[in-house]
Amino acid sequence: MSELATLARPYAVAAFKWAKQNDAMMKWSQSLKFMAAIMGDNEISIVVNNPKVGKQKVSELLLDICNGQIDEDDASFLKVLVQNGRLDLLSTIAILFEGYKAEYEGYVDVQVSTAYEFSEEAYNRLSEKLQKSLGKKINMNVAVDKSLIGGVLVRAGDRVIDGSIRGQLQHMQKALQ
Amino acid sequence: MQLNPSEISDLIKKKIENFDLSSESHTEGTVVSVSDGIVRVHGLSGAMQGEMLEFPGNTFGMALNLERDSVGVVILGSYQHISEGDTVKCTGRILEVPVGEALLGRVVDALGNPIDGKGAIDTNETSPIEKIAPGVIARQSVDQPVQLGLKSIDAMIPVGRGQRELIIGDRQTGKTAIAVDAIINQKGTGIKCIYVAIGQKRSSIANVVRKLEEHGAMEHTIIVAASASESAAMQFIAPYTGCSMGEFFRDRGEDALIIYDDLTKQAWAYRQVSLLLRRPPGREAYPGDVFYLHSRLLERASRINAEEVEKLTGGRVKGKTGSLTALPIIETQGGDVSAFVPTNVISITDGQIFLESNLFNSGIRPAVNAGLSVSRVGGAAQTKIIKKLGGGTRLDLAQYRELAAFAQFASDLDESTRKQIERGQRVTELMKQNQYSPMSVAQMAISLFAANEGFLDSLETSKVLDFEAALHSYMKSEHSGLMDTINATGDFSNEIKQSMQDAIETFIKTHSW
Repeated sequence: MSELATLARPYAVAAFKWAKQNDAMMKWSQSLKFMAAIMGDNEISIVVNNPKVGKQKVSELLLDICNGQIDEDDASFLKVLVQNGRLDLLSTIAILFEGYKAEYEGYVDVQVSTAYEFSEEAYNRLSEKLQKSLGKKINMNVAVDKSLIGGVLVRAGDRVIDGSIRGQLQHMQKALQ
Repeated sequence: MQLNPSEISDLIKKKIENFDLSSESHTEGTVVSVSDGIVRVHGLSGAMQGEMLEFPGNTFGMALNLERDSVGVVILGSYQHISEGDTVKCTGRILEVPVGEALLGRVVDALGNPIDGKGAIDTNETSPIEKIAPGVIARQSVDQPVQLGLKSIDAMIPVGRGQRELIIGDRQTGKTAIAVDAIINQKGTGIKCIYVAIGQKRSSIANVVRKLEEHGAMEHTIIVAASASESAAMQFIAPYTGCSMGEFFRDRGEDALIIYDDLTKQAWAYRQVSLLLRRPPGREAYPGDVFYLHSRLLERASRINAEEVEKLTGGRVKGKTGSLTALPIIETQGGDVSAFVPTNVISITDGQIFLESNLFNSGIRPAVNAGLSVSRVGGAAQTKIIKKLGGGTRLDLAQYRELAAFAQFASDLDESTRKQIERGQRVTELMKQNQYSPMSVAQMAISLFAANEGFLDSLETSKVLDFEAALHSYMKSEHSGLMDTINATGDFSNEIKQSMQDAIETFIKTHSW
C-alpha cells in the first residue's frame, strides 16, 4: 500500500496541478473516480492485464468505454498511464488526488461513529466543535456503531479522538492491570 | 503482606475514582507488513523518531524509519501475534525505562522489566533511553580513580571516574572476568555498577549473577540482560537502557560504573535491524551510522561538575560531582583490531585494555598486553602511591619485552642485560592475579614496592606469587595500621617508604613463603 502510494504520487500531483491551473478540480475528481471504478471491474482488469492485448488495444478499449464521460485531458492522462503500464494505480491516484483537493480547499473528511443516532442540534454542535479543534472546515460522515456503548469516536485522517465508553473501558482495563 | 478483600476493592475504587475519563486523542496507523520483527505501518503521520508505538496485545514497538508513506517499526519482544491490518497507536513518548535505587540488586531485561522472579520493582521514576550526553560546560575533568582491584590494570592502565576504557580481546581471553572483578571490587566504595549483557548465553548471564551474589556484589549492581534468544531490537537497545540507569546515579552526584558486554554483539544486532529496515549496507554490511551508534552511547559516560548536579537535582545535592565510568567490551576475531567496529570503539574510548590469547594460554592472567594497552586520561586519576610505584613496572616490562628474545642466551649476556631480563620475568610473574580476588591499594603498593626495590630479584620466578601471598598476610597481621593508612590516604611519603622497607626486610628474615 505504501509502495503504491509512492508510485502513484507523481501522477496524482500532476493531475492536481493541471486541475488547479485549469480550475477543473471537480471535473478531475469525478473523472478520476470514474476511471478508478472502471479499473475496479474484474473483467476489465483481466483484459487490461492480459499480455496478449497490446497497449494500443487497451487504450482504444478504455477510451471507448469512457466515451462521453471524459474529456480530452482525461484521455491523455489515461493514455500516459497505459503507456507506462500503471493502470493499476488509478484507484490510489484517485485517493491521493482527493487528499490534495481537500487540503487545497481547506477541509478534512471526518468519520464520526456514534452509539446512538444524533439529533440535529447535537450534530451541529459536534461539527462546530470539531471544526474549531481541527482548525479546518469539515466534511462529516456519521455512522451508528452500537458496540461503542456510548459517546462518539471521531476519525480525521490519522487522528483519532476517542470519546466512547468502549474506549474508556479499555483505557481503564489497562490502568487497573 | 496480606490484603483483605475489602482493602482490595477499596484500592480499586480509589483507582477508578482517580481515573481520568477525558476523551483521548491520538494518531493511528495500520500495519501493512510484518517481517522478522520489522513492521511497516501506513499512516502515523505524527510519529516521532524513536517513539514508542502501541500494538494490540500490550506489545510495543519503536519507530526507527520515518518514510513518506509509512513508518518502519521494530517490535520489542514477540511479534508473532501481529498481523496485517492491525491498528497501531502513537503514545507520544520516546521509549523510556524505569530508573532508581530500587533497581540495585535486580536483573532486568532491556525494557527494565524484572526477570529475576523477585517481584515488581518499586520505582516511579522513568527515563528515556536515548538522551543527549552532557555538554562541555557541564563536565569536569577526570581526577578520581576507579580501582579495578587488578594489579596489572591499576598500576599500568589506570581508570578514572567518568572515563571510557575499552576492554578488547579475542574470545576466551578473560574480558568478562576483568569486568566481574571490577564490579566485585566496588563493594563498599559507593560506586554503583551496571552490567549490561548483550547477546550472551543465558547460562553465562546466570553465572555472572551467581558469582556476584557469592561475593556480595549484587547489592550495588544492576544487571541488564538481553540474551542471545531475545530479539535483535532488544539487544540493540539494552546498552542505552543500562546507560539511562547509570545516568540516574551520575545526575544525583554519585558515581557509577557501567560495563557493556559486549558492543560487538550490539553492532551485529543493529546491523540486523538496519538491513531488515532496508537501510543501505556499508563496510562489513554495517549501516552508515554504526559509529554514531557507539559514540552517542559512550559520550554519555562522563564526569559532571557540582553545579550541574545541583541543577539536575533542583538544589537537593550540593557540592558533589557525579560520574559514569564505562567499560565497553569488544570481541575481536583472531586478534584483528583493524576490523570496523574495533577501530571505531578504540577511537571513541579514552584508552584500551588489550587482552591476548597467547598470553592467556601461557598462564599470564589477566592476559593484559602492557605494550598495547593505554589509558589516556587515567594517569591524572591514579592514587599517588600506585602512580609512584607503578611507573617502574611499566618501564621494567617495556625493557623486558625488548630483551625477551635474548633470554635464551642468558649465559652470554652482560650483567645489566641479564638483570633486566630477570627483573622483567619476575614483574611479569607478579602481574598475575587470580580471578575473584581483587586487591586493595595497600596490597598492590606493597607488591609493587617489593618489585621496585629488588626484593624479588633473589627469588625463583615460580616463587614470586607465593612470596606475595605470604607478604600480604604478614602485612595484614603485623602492620595493619600501615596498610589502613595507605588505603585511606593513598599518599606516598618517605615515612611510608621507610615503614614498607623495614616491614619487608623483617618479613624476608622469616623465610615463611
